[in-house]
Amino acid sequence: MTTSAPAGVVLDEFSYDDDIVRKFLFATLIWGTVGMVVGLLIALQLANPAFNLGLEFTSFGRLRPLHTNAVIFAFAGNAFFCGAYYSTQRLLKARMFSDGLSRFHFWGWQLIIVAAALTLPLGLTQAKEYAELEWPIDLAIAVVWVAFAWNFMGTILRRRERHLYVAIWFYIASIVTVAVLHIFNNLSLPAGAFKSYSLYAGVQDAFMQWWYGHNAVAFFLTTPFLGLMYYFMPKAAEGPVFSYRLSILHFWSLVFLYIWAGPHHLHYTALPEWASTLGMLFSVMLWAPSWGGMINGLLTLRGGWQKVVDDPILKFFVVGITAYGMSTFEGPMLSVKSVNALAHYTDWIIAHVHTGALGWNGFLTFGMIYWLAPRLFQAPLHSKKAASLHFWIATFGIILYVVAIYSAGVTQGLMWRAFDETGRLTYPDFVETVLRLMPMYWVRVAGGSLYIAGMLIFSWNIVQTWRKRPARYDVPVVRAAALRAPEPSQAAPSPGLLGGLAFHRRWERMPVLFTVLVTVAVAIASLAEIIPTFLIKSNVPTIASVKPYTPLELYGRDMYIREGCVNCHSQMIRPLRYETERYGEYSKPGESVYEHPFLWGSRRIGPDLAREGGKYPNLWHVRHFANPRELSPRSIMPAYPHFATAPIDFDVLARRVDAMAMLGVPYGEAVTNAIPMARAQAAEIAADIEATGGPAGLADREIVAIVAYMQRIGRDIATTGTVASRGTAP
Amino acid sequence: MKLSDVLGHADLSIYAEIGLVLFILAFLGIVWWVFRPGAGARWRSDAQMPLDDEHPQQPRDRKD
Repeated sequence: MTTSAPAGVVLDEFSYDDDIVRKFLFATLIWGTVGMVVGLLIALQLANPAFNLGLEFTSFGRLRPLHTNAVIFAFAGNAFFCGAYYSTQRLLKARMFSDGLSRFHFWGWQLIIVAAALTLPLGLTQAKEYAELEWPIDLAIAVVWVAFAWNFMGTILRRRERHLYVAIWFYIASIVTVAVLHIFNNLSLPAGAFKSYSLYAGVQDAFMQWWYGHNAVAFFLTTPFLGLMYYFMPKAAEGPVFSYRLSILHFWSLVFLYIWAGPHHLHYTALPEWASTLGMLFSVMLWAPSWGGMINGLLTLRGGWQKVVDDPILKFFVVGITAYGMSTFEGPMLSVKSVNALAHYTDWIIAHVHTGALGWNGFLTFGMIYWLAPRLFQAPLHSKKAASLHFWIATFGIILYVVAIYSAGVTQGLMWRAFDETGRLTYPDFVETVLRLMPMYWVRVAGGSLYIAGMLIFSWNIVQTWRKRPARYDVPVVRAAALRAPEPSQAAPSPGLLGGLAFHRRWERMPVLFTVLVTVAVAIASLAEIIPTFLIKSNVPTIASVKPYTPLELYGRDMYIREGCVNCHSQMIRPLRYETERYGEYSKPGESVYEHPFLWGSRRIGPDLAREGGKYPNLWHVRHFANPRELSPRSIMPAYPHFATAPIDFDVLARRVDAMAMLGVPYGEAVTNAIPMARAQAAEIAADIEATGGPAGLADREIVAIVAYMQRIGRDIATTGTVASRGTAP
Repeated sequence: MKLSDVLGHADLSIYAEIGLVLFILAFLGIVWWVFRPGAGARWRSDAQMPLDDEHPQQPRDRKD
């Protein structure tokens, strides 16, 4: 190790920008607390629907995306930026390329988070998981991300270190891939200031979404944090990583494999089988590099395990990296189709992501910030005891949370598929399978509360450390070797195997080329998987009887999107006997060709709705939305009494139908006639509600639009079911 | 004839085998690069990078 510069070397003088690191650190504390508290609130809502607070802005469907976006992009995002700005400058021996871009990145990102926190409760959403934010915010994300990438690449080009440490590779891969994922999944056609429709429909939209969704996990929650691990673990353990060779294999294997894994979110759905199989195989292959990485992280402590006893930072790292191993063991297992048949749509998946998020992302962040705080605030950590307490409370909280929710998932999955000796469903009433989970849901509330208590102790500890900071931060001047003139021996490559690998040495020194290679690896995988689904006709056979929604049904569908119904209700019946017995004929790819965006869902907190149309009379829906517990006494669904009072905004329909028609949905005469058609259908449904004994005067109220939509779902192919009145299709 | 018709009639099954071979070659290439003779010194010096905040392990040439 070089401890001092050799004599006679010219030294550059500069300083690292730690102010930006402190900014991101505080943002991590604030948004982490907010995101987790929202998580606790929605956990309470599932245990008791009274916690929906009777407000449309605080119902589960609107707050769940707020929780996921806050903890992923605000908490984990700011934590990644915090660690990346600290480590990048030191690994490259260079100050960030532009202080202005750093600040633009920071404030831009915080504004985006505020915009998300305002728009999601208002019901402005694209309905795609982790990509809910509407198009103006998506544009802002793209601009801020480009500023970050520009700043980062600029720093790399001005670096004083010849090689790029493996953490920097992970950062580059994350930055590039997140940009690609974000742009392609969010391509949509605006139909208003905060309303848009996905460019893709049905199977293709589902494919794009989970190509994005899984890789958001891979390239926003995994590779950035692996970069942090490869930097901060050696720092905390005071020794180099166990095997640098293994870290390189870890990196390239993840980059090559991860991007293919997305379709495992769509097993047994209308996605073509080959894509599903491909997703499963690549997920199973991920076992090897993920565990290689975990072992590499843990063994960095080789010979120093006794330090874990005294050091809360190492405790957090060891449990965090172990959680990475646990969740990356479980992920490939869940991607195996037969396991997935049980786990999909259940809480098992929720438990899986919380092992990863609370254990891996949370604990790595906590360990990193405990390590950073004394260095950034130039004062000793306020209380090591409190840090240890935080560790034990949070660990206990995670265990309570995941044990409860794993058992909830398996319980509900087994109940859904149980048949009695006569071959009928043992639990035909869906709500029965929900009520069985209530004890587990309360244990989750307890576990989550402990984790948040830990987060509060953590924040208090860090703020107390900050309060002990000096009046002015000391900004050390770094004296690092300036760029040298090339040595003659290196100018002429020596002959030998492949020209003495001179070509290779040049490659390694070219970050631009490295970035191109990563992009190529990601692009090849994406294109090979996605293009056939779009272009090969046999993948999405069309069905002649499937017609677009009427304008009023489209309005109802937009309400379904606005309220976040998709967070609890799937619309995708798998071709498995226990599903078709419970819900009806399985969903065909051709049924969702006009679904911009797809609403297949990923979790059944309530029953599947793919064949809901015609199951109940209109009046049943009117009463059920007003108060679900009036018809299903122990239902946990939020009430939507405002549907009966809020007026339908007929004027937006022209623009929305127009946008749909531009996306290729054959609306025909409805394009010019949307509003009168919607009014006519609304009057028809309102008349039926009144005739069957319901309230009068609903013809211009939102309730008729959502009822129109509910009655239409899954009716375009011949299935059995009660016939309820419904409007005329275009 | 649309692109989707062309692709729909093309037999793409051979691409899976080609892909398999390419992936294995890429993987073997990376393994070779990592374990190639003489690389050990570089990995040892690269692994030290996080441990020194001030001094580059290998200062860059101006031409790099």
